[in-house]
Parts: sequence; structure tokens; C-alpha cells
Amino acid sequence: MSTREAARAAIERELLAWMREEPSVHDEARFERLALALFAFQFEANLAYGRFCAARGKTPATLASWREIPSVPTGAFKELPLRCFPPERAVKVFRTSGTALTRRGELELDTLALYEASLVPSFEAGVLPDLAAGEKLPCLVLAPSPGEAPDSSLSHMFGVMLARRGAAASGYFVCDGRLDVGALLAALEAVRGAEKLLLCGTAFAFVHLLETLEARDLRLALPAGARIMETGGFKGRTRELSRERLHAWLHARLGVPPARSVNQYGMTELGSQFYDSVLREPAAPRRKLAPPWTRVRVIDPESGRALGPGAVGALHVVDLANTGSVLAVATADLGVVVDGGFEVLGREAGAEARGCSLAADEMLGAQA
Amino acid sequence: MPKPDAAALQEAQGELRAAGRALASRPRSERVAALGRVLERFRDAGSAERRELEARLPAATGFAPATLRKGLDLALAGWSARALFALVEDELERGAKGRLACGFPLTSVLLGGAVPTPSLAALLAPLVLGSPVLARVSSHDPVTAEVFGRALAAEDAGLAAALRVVSFPSGDEAALRAFLSADCVVAYGSDATMAAVTARTTPAQRLVRHGHRLSVAVLGTGALSGAALAGAAEALALDVALWDQLGCLSPVALYVLGVERVPESLLEALGAAFERAGERWPRGRLDAAAATAFAHERETAELRSASDARIALRAGAAFTLVAEADPVFRGSPLHRFLRVHPVPGADALVAALEPLGPHLAAVGSAGLGGLGERLAPALAGLGAARLCPLGALQAPALAWCHDQPGVLLPLARLTDVEEEAG
Repeated sequence: MSTREAARAAIERELLAWMREEPSVHDEARFERLALALFAFQFEANLAYGRFCAARGKTPATLASWREIPSVPTGAFKELPLRCFPPERAVKVFRTSGTALTRRGELELDTLALYEASLVPSFEAGVLPDLAAGEKLPCLVLAPSPGEAPDSSLSHMFGVMLARRGAAASGYFVCDGRLDVGALLAALEAVRGAEKLLLCGTAFAFVHLLETLEARDLRLALPAGARIMETGGFKGRTRELSRERLHAWLHARLGVPPARSVNQYGMTELGSQFYDSVLREPAAPRRKLAPPWTRVRVIDPESGRALGPGAVGALHVVDLANTGSVLAVATADLGVVVDGGFEVLGREAGAEARGCSLAADEMLGAQA
Repeated sequence: MPKPDAAALQEAQGELRAAGRALASRPRSERVAALGRVLERFRDAGSAERRELEARLPAATGFAPATLRKGLDLALAGWSARALFALVEDELERGAKGRLACGFPLTSVLLGGAVPTPSLAALLAPLVLGSPVLARVSSHDPVTAEVFGRALAAEDAGLAAALRVVSFPSGDEAALRAFLSADCVVAYGSDATMAAVTARTTPAQRLVRHGHRLSVAVLGTGALSGAALAGAAEALALDVALWDQLGCLSPVALYVLGVERVPESLLEALGAAFERAGERWPRGRLDAAAATAFAHERETAELRSASDARIALRAGAAFTLVAEADPVFRGSPLHRFLRVHPVPGADALVAALEPLGPHLAAVGSAGLGGLGERLAPALAGLGAARLCPLGALQAPALAWCHDQPGVLLPLARLTDVEEEAG
């Protein structure tokens, strides 16, 4: 093992220990030390990232804080292999969705240990905080199984969680790209007596379910212990609706109140995910909570400066779980810092475009 | 501005239909003459209408005042009363012997975006045909239609009575359905808007859609050096600067013919021209989403450039140029972000533009020489609705058909009259 690889292995050992602590707590000094060490490793091991940072005058020798680590835009994952290891060592490749005109972003992993160690405590804290250790519940997934979508990081996450927390009646209800509403309703009927239940999947799949229920004039009354975890946006879809409207609709048709609907903010390019606080801290305002090994900042896109609470800017994430790729990622999403967390701001439903030219995402989405 | 609900819209539609009946009984020449005078008001840079547009539109649309002024100057220079007469003559009279063209009893016009000139043309065309107009303004430009209405009132009370300009929230489903119940619907907007309008109209209605499109620029070897290069760079910088690249006639990519790699001299010339254009016609305000998309694309290009010597950046405070390594289209976040692609030859250009075909509005060019004529049929075949010199992209003729059978004809009911034998 090279010195560089040994440095990464040491970082990962410490991170794994941190992720497995119960509870794992925020520790600024530990985060700072690990972030700078990981940056030093990636600067050397990830050629494209190293050159990008060097061109900006940011090197391990010049950085004093994790706040100075240059962020890579998520779009770059479509353009370059942003990995810190030779391609033959990849054990898993997660890909973003794409269209005929777009490349798909890729996150290559040479180990799943850290990825899975990161996702489990965040999921359990955000979605299953009321479950006892080892307790299982029926998990009905409105997304393809990992077998059907092996390059989907979302399906992989559901696979890990089902194996860990799914009771016997758990299953996947999106096959060949279609939500099998009949099978899902049958599964819901079969778990009618369950006190606790998890429905999870993409927001768009939930919309499809709700439209079907509406068309059939059906209203379900899921148990009080039911919870919903939904994720993803509506870009490129024919229908857009706000998170609030989606949660209100879920309440009306499934009987699950908004206080038990959890939105997850995640993306293929990140090893960690962020969950609404509603189940974990029901008395506090809804916001996204960041795991201790991540930092989320809101950046002014024009000046590049970090913005304070309440100001709208681009969300930048530093995620220590990204040991084999790039730890600092600039998303194209807007958000605001709020007390103890952050909020993701979606595009306002029904918002009109300012111009009549096709912007990149509209043009590229139109080719799907 | 009135913000009617569904019931008020239905009432307005009844009044407009009555005004339309009165309008249709008047000779077309009277309407055309009055509308020609209205156009002349907008064409005159010193008119009250132009002054009002220049005073109010920057706040409403986000365009910088000097940029807006230049855009209006350029776009409206050719939109004269004479041009309107010629349009009517071309589409409705010459070659239409024995064919009657008349407007629908009511036309609803769903305006879109912040670029004001398409709104003027959209309001004017149904009135030429004698069809009353119910117009819903864009949230980004509530001004132009209102000023047009006042100019109309000053020239012809009968025409003014046949125009109603309204605004209502996009979420007001009942109002939208009432609005879209007109005999003819003209809609401007995104693919999502087009889908929403289509879903709310019936086959019995006339629906004229103007969806979002994009334009590109092409540079031939004749414009890669000397004065020709400088001229082409200035012309392209103007085309990109106006409407902050948000218009469907704004080029989002430049294809350089006959080169394997984008010449450094071209990038230098473009950078200088974009810098100067930015000083004369500053970029307007960007909202957080647009600024984020712009920064995201710029940083992605920066990262690619650090790993690939063929990719180069020229970035100013309010523009970004990216010299790409290949002809593959990559899209643009707009707001003065231009990708420059090398293309070895004409066939490669056509192949590169093929995926854009259904969305291609215009191709502006310089330095093509004789190749321009040979390329034209191929570009037209791809779907380009306009081919023009660089520097003229933002000045379409009033008669530009937007890939429709005409400007007026799509809004008309056409009747062929056959004479009785003997």
C-alpha cells in the first residue's frame, strides 16, 4: 500500500468509527482535521480535481480551513472520471439519469463500506427514529429494486435499508419503469394490521400513485405509525408541484399527515443524504439536518462567498463520505441556511420563464 | 391591470366578441392603416410609447436600460407601417385571389417571457384580421401590452375596444380554462406551457403555438482573420448581448467551420468584443437560480479546461466563452454564456445541429462565402426557421414566419370562393 493509500485508509477507519458511534455527534475539530487530510489525499490522487484546485491556487499547503476547499460542480461528474483510484478497482458505479443529448453523471466507488456506513445512520435517524434497535417494519418501495436498477444510488440505498430494517412484507413496486399500483394496493391491504409502516420512493412515483387513487376516487387510511419518505424533484416531468402540496395530497389520499412525510435531499454525486427533521424533532420547524461528517453551506453564486441564514444561494456540500471521489461538491440547487440546518428551495410551481430561448436543462430535457 | 376571475373573463369575452363584430364590418384597409400608425409610434425612438417602454421595462423585465434601448432600436427599425402593408399584401391579397381570409370571432393570446417585441407582433396580427384579442400578459412583462393598448386607443377607438389586456395567476384553473376557450388561441412559452395549453383546448379550436427555441451562429473561414474577424466578433457580441441571450433568436453556440481546434485569435477577438458589448449594453440582473446555473456551467468548464488543453475559457465579469474540443452540443445557461465549437466541415456542422433541429429558430452566419448558399437547404431541412447574417439575428422582419405558414395566415379562417359556372 502506498503512503497515499495508507493515508486514505486511515481517514476511512476514523470515519467509519465516527459513523458507527451512537449517537454520532458534530465535532468541528474532528471534521476540520479529516476534511483537510482528505483534501490533501484527493489533491494528489484525483488528477482532474488536483489540476482544478491548483489553477485556483488552492493546494494542501495553502488551505487553512475546510471552508476553502474548492467545490466541484455536479455537472463535472458528467464530464470527467472524478475518482482517486484506477478504473479497474471500481466495484460500483452509480449514474445520474440522462437523456439522449446528455451524458450521465457517474460516481465510481472502489468500496461500498463507507457509502453504506454513511447512509444507514442518517436514514434511521431521519425516517425511523421511533424504532427500537433492530426493530423491523414493512417497507414498501416506490422505486426499482437494486437488481433492476444496479446503477441507481437510490435503489442501492433502499436495498441496504430493506435488508436491515424491512419486515417480510417489504418489496419494490416499480418494475420496467412503471409503478405497479395494483400490487402496491394489495401489499398495503396485506399489512393492514401493522402498527408501523414505511412507504418510500421518488416523489414522482408518489404523484403517479396519488393520481391513480384520485382517478379511482380512493382514499386510504394508513396506520398512525406510517411514515413516508420521498425524494427527488420533477425536472423534465409534465407535472410540477411544491413539496407542501405533495405532502398535503399524501395526507388527503393516504392519511399520512405532513408531519410524518419526510423529504430526503440526496444526489448520486454524494455519499451522504439529508433528511427533514420532522420525525426526529417533531416540535421544531421542518428543515434538513446534516450528518456530522458533512457540512452544507449556501454560497452566493456571483461572488463565491458564503451567505448567512435566510439568504438564498447555491448549496455547496462537503461530504467526508466521498473519500474516493471529491469531498466538496457544488450543487445547482438553491437553498437557505436556517437555524440548525438548511432548506432546499424548489423551483416555484408554475413560474414563468423569463426568456423564449431554451436554457440548457430545458433543451436537454426535451430530448428525453 | 385587470385581474379577472373566470366569470369576469367570460363577460369580457362577450364584450370583445361584440366589438369584433363591429370591427369586422370595417374595411381591412382601415384596420391596417391604424395598426401601421401604431407600429410607427413604437418605431419612433422619441415617441411617448417608446419612452414609456424604456422607462418601465428595465424594472419589470430585468434588462439593463441601455441594452433594452438598443434591443428595441434594432428590432423595431424595420417594423414600419410600410412593412405591415407589404405583409398584408403578401399574405392576404397577392396570390390569394378567390380566397377570403378573416379573423376568428375571438383570439386569446397567452404572452410569455420578458422580450417585448414578440408581444407587439402577437397583439397586432389578430387585429389585422379583424379578430378581437384577449391577452394575458407575462409576469415578466406586464408593460408592453398595456402600452400597446393605449397607443391603439390613441389611433383608433374601435380597434382599442377589440383588445383587452388582463393578468391572472397561473394557478387559477377556472380562469385559465375560460381564457383558453376562445375560437383561436395563440400561446407563447415553454414546453410545459404548451402542454398545459394543448391539454385545455379542443380540436375545434385553432391553436398556434410558439414554444421555446434556440439559435446558433456559424463562422466560416472568411471571417477568421483581419477586419472580417473583428466585424464578426462585434456582430456576434451584439446578438448575444441583446435580451441577455434570453430570446429565441439569441445564439447559444458558435460553430467555427473548417478548423480542428478553436483558434486562439478568435477567442481573443470574441473576448474583447464581449467585453466592449458589456460596457455599452450591460447585462441585466440575474435571479439566484440563473446566477447559480451560470456559475455551475462556468466552473464545470473550468474543471474540464484544467484537464484538457483543447478546452479554453475567456470569462469576463458578465460573460463566459468556452472553446470546446468538439462539435457536440452542450447547451448554455444563457445570460451571455457562449460555447465555441470547431467543426471540420459542412457535413459535420449539419450532423452537430441535427439534434437541435426541432428547436432551431435561426442560424446567423459570417464569412461563409459561397458555402452559405450550399448550406442553406441543409439548415432549412434541419428545421432552422431563419438564416441571416451575424449582427442581424435580433432584427427579424415583421414578416418572419416563425416556421409557420405565415404571420397572419395561421390566425385566419380561409375560405375558397368558386364562381358559379356561366
